[in-house]
Amino acid sequence: MLPTPYVKCDYDKVYEPAEDSFLLLDSLENEQIYLANRFQNKLAVVCELGPGSGIVSTFMMQNKMPSQNSIYLALDINPWALDATQDTAKRNDCNKVYLETIQSDLTSSTRHNQVDLLLFNPPYVPAETIPEIPETRDDIDTWLDLALVGGKDGMKITQLVLDQLDTTLSSEGVAYILFCARNRPEEVVKSMASHWDITLVEHRKAGWEVLSVYRFIRKTPH
Amino acid sequence: MKFLTTNFLKCSVQSCDTSNDNFPLAYDGSKCQLEQDESIEFNPEFLVNVLDRVEWPAILQVASDLGNTSLPPNKPVFEDSNALTEDDMAILRDLHVLLIKTSIVEGEMKCKNCGHTYYIKNGIPNLLLPPHLA
Repeated sequence: MLPTPYVKCDYDKVYEPAEDSFLLLDSLENEQIYLANRFQNKLAVVCELGPGSGIVSTFMMQNKMPSQNSIYLALDINPWALDATQDTAKRNDCNKVYLETIQSDLTSSTRHNQVDLLLFNPPYVPAETIPEIPETRDDIDTWLDLALVGGKDGMKITQLVLDQLDTTLSSEGVAYILFCARNRPEEVVKSMASHWDITLVEHRKAGWEVLSVYRFIRKTPH
Repeated sequence: MKFLTTNFLKCSVQSCDTSNDNFPLAYDGSKCQLEQDESIEFNPEFLVNVLDRVEWPAILQVASDLGNTSLPPNKPVFEDSNALTEDDMAILRDLHVLLIKTSIVEGEMKCKNCGHTYYIKNGIPNLLLPPHLA
């Protein structure tokens, strides 16, 4: 078992690490050797969308994944999450690692085809609507809702990321995305199967939810 | 925000994606406050890999935006990255200072296509768009 970051945040402002976060950590641990081989002797640009507390990015930094030659970009719309991610990294002695926290709406601000490793634990809870991005930093309830709520089938935000996957990932790029059963991930796999190799890395029953993590890689590199 | 990150950021406005002017963003040298961040140690192997990856013309442009016009016009190449010479190491050390240590603590930058201005505050760049542009 790889070490798990020590996290202490204000959970009124950022999403508290839960079963979904830990499933993503376990998935990445399973993939450690695969990733180390895939990104041997080159720079890996790791990009986490919606890092929240920063537990996943910090886990990657702490365990030098995929390799020592990595830079980490953590992108969140929630300004509190960016502060929390910096804080969690520091708490776990990752000060000497290249981490950049960027306030951004998903990957809209990243240059195309530069992300080697994309990590996303999305807001996946089905809901009728998704709140607008708050105008002030202090509207903490709305910021927190944005970390959870995923619109119709809980797929609205995840679908945006999937639609952009081809312009986000580098030619060798890999994405790990978490789903709950109500997101109907099997249908996602079916609809993307012509261009993507999609593998179920981990799945687990967590309370009344069934969570899964899928790996996406291109069938034919760019 | 570390200098190297400028090599990965573009304008968030979707319609700018069809333009070649959405990357790199144009940094306003008169408004950018720079600091030297000592936290990351010099690691030649890491830097060779970084260099291999970066878009050099964009590095040149941002450096010049920030008042540094002393970089070579072409990306430095190393004959054998497993046996770096003294000269190679000197180049890599300079690049470590520029790309990794130099950080923009406060500043602003613009898309060369749509002219939208983004800000860096407290070292954190904000690439969110106002509702009418998102």
